Amino acid sequence: MTAVAPLFSNPYRQRFVEFLANRREPGAIARLRRDAFARFETLGLPTRQQEAWRLTDLSALQNLALQPPADALVEAGALPALDLPAHRLAFVNGRFAPGLSRLRALPGQALIASLGQALLTHSARIEPYLDRLPGLEQHPFAALNSAFWDDGAFVHVPRGIGIEEPIHLVFYATGGDMSVHPRLLLALEDGAQATVVVEYRGQGRYLNAPLAELSLGDGAVLHYHQIQEEAPQAFHLGGVRVRQGRDSEAHLHLVSLGGQLARTDLEALLDGEGARCRLNGLTLARDQQYGDYHVRVEHAQPGGTSEQLFKSVLDGKARSVFDGMIHVRPHAQKTDARQTSRNLLLSRQAQAHSNPRLEILADDVKCGHGATTGFLDPDAEFYLRARGIPAAQARALLVHAFANDNLNQIRLTPLRERLARLLAGRLALDIMEGA
Amino acid sequence: MLEIRNLHVTVEGREILKGIDLTIHPGETHAIMGPNGSGKSTLANVIAGREGYTVTEGEILFEGRNLLEMDPETRACEGLFLAFQYPVEIPGVANLYFLKAAVNAVRKYRGEPPVDAMDFWDLVHERMELVKMDESMLKRSVNEGFSGGEKKRNEVFQMVVLQPRFAVLDETDSGLDIDALKVVADGVNALRNPERGFLVITHYQRLLDYIVPDHVHVLVNGRIARSGGKELALELEEQGYALYNEEPGRARRAAA
Repeated sequence: MTAVAPLFSNPYRQRFVEFLANRREPGAIARLRRDAFARFETLGLPTRQQEAWRLTDLSALQNLALQPPADALVEAGALPALDLPAHRLAFVNGRFAPGLSRLRALPGQALIASLGQALLTHSARIEPYLDRLPGLEQHPFAALNSAFWDDGAFVHVPRGIGIEEPIHLVFYATGGDMSVHPRLLLALEDGAQATVVVEYRGQGRYLNAPLAELSLGDGAVLHYHQIQEEAPQAFHLGGVRVRQGRDSEAHLHLVSLGGQLARTDLEALLDGEGARCRLNGLTLARDQQYGDYHVRVEHAQPGGTSEQLFKSVLDGKARSVFDGMIHVRPHAQKTDARQTSRNLLLSRQAQAHSNPRLEILADDVKCGHGATTGFLDPDAEFYLRARGIPAAQARALLVHAFANDNLNQIRLTPLRERLARLLAGRLALDIMEGA
Repeated sequence: MLEIRNLHVTVEGREILKGIDLTIHPGETHAIMGPNGSGKSTLANVIAGREGYTVTEGEILFEGRNLLEMDPETRACEGLFLAFQYPVEIPGVANLYFLKAAVNAVRKYRGEPPVDAMDFWDLVHERMELVKMDESMLKRSVNEGFSGGEKKRNEVFQMVVLQPRFAVLDETDSGLDIDALKVVADGVNALRNPERGFLVITHYQRLLDYIVPDHVHVLVNGRIARSGGKELALELEEQGYALYNEEPGRARRAAA
């Protein structure tokens, strides 16, 4: 029924057969992969005729002859550091790189490991979580990830255990038109707590199509940060699935800086009474960059709270998309859901699209959304200049102020400061280039 | 220190200032009074360098240098200050941070190192008391959620911290109660000395009870219709501007 783009999916079929033949893993996992691949073939590659992909132009990606991932050596210096004691797992082209990783002692039976390795040693702990979360059913790249994930990170925090130090997961790709599909599987059992920083980086041209599955038991608390800083020529098509139990708290910070085309589709299911979800997104794009967040927050149970704040700062001919859906099921009374999308355009050629949406099937809820797009306030710029602050610095100060309430919500100080410096550096550069 | 010669200014093609001549020497405080729409704020904005104003004729010299060739930040660094009629709210930039950035911008322009953090804090505290400003206002975003009076007080606070050589106050008194008015006047009077100049723009005579000017000018329909001493302000208070509005031709002759 669905048209399948031949250039893209045919090589994938051959590649899938070879890939599966070389895997040594439990039959249940292989079945998940086959199901996922069948789903991918049914969905086909997205086209701009599909509403969800209307603004995402994948033609440049479709012209590539994508290659399977290969091993490569990466200098430790190429990887970002957190400047904090952290549990670190690094992956190169989707595969665990033990030499670049550093694991510290963990409390109780908590486990942080390569997903590929854990499958051999701890498959009973993985199977209850892998591919179990709803969401992203229509997303071909999520299906592709479920078929092709080679390796990734597995974080399992048993009931009542808190992992103090942040878990730093670095995914690095080395170009060569590879398509990599790393997986993150995170399971916090009831009352468990963890702080996670995921960083996507690379060099050259490649497709990174990661999928993260974040499962929060009752009362679990997760602070999750995802910093997308792919190489300038790279494509990033990521998915995040979140499921939250009763009274759990998810603080999700998404930052998008790199890639020529970057899109993250996120679905959060507030599946327990009183679950709280904070979603905080920041996109910085310039030149011809495209940055896109598609978000769906599903309130399935009463008394849930969700708060979304998505901002983009666009220079040059950059474009951003924010498509956000709040869906409140009939049973989910006393839901409090907010959504804000704000875009700052630094050039006349930049474009921001905001599409906030509400579907409310319960009658006793508080829901609100708003979207604004604008240029820097010339009155504010003049005010700063009239106090002696040079024009470029005045503009940088105003942009920083715009992005600041996103960055200020990041509690990991060195990470927040690194992002603030990066923002400041990029602005100064852009303004000099523009002058 | 400030010389305005035959200044003609248009805004969107409409002539607002029609030949202003005004000389202010160091140590002098001049007041410009006039009805709404006479061009008072245009004059203030042209002096500060706001965009959207076209000087079609004439010049402004500041310390003998062509002010109109300088961008707004250079004017500020050269020692010019405008207290805004409508101070701008800047969410996300803390008042104290803004003030420090301004102080350091001026110091950098002069080739001086950034201000010492302790010295800056001492200066800020001392000046805060002068304008009776609450410390909590330092941490808040610039003017965000400030009342009208707080915004004007913040303008004067910036002025007393930056200590400009020449300050223009654009209707800083409008909308203020008498206590706030005194605070504004205290700020100006604390800075008055033989080297500094002030141009106080106001609609009402009231402010001039507290900031006593050396010269008063009446601006009507883009021209200075009359100049005089501080007694002119009192005269205007009694007679209003009607005299000037009704017969601008005669007023012009009287000024010439």
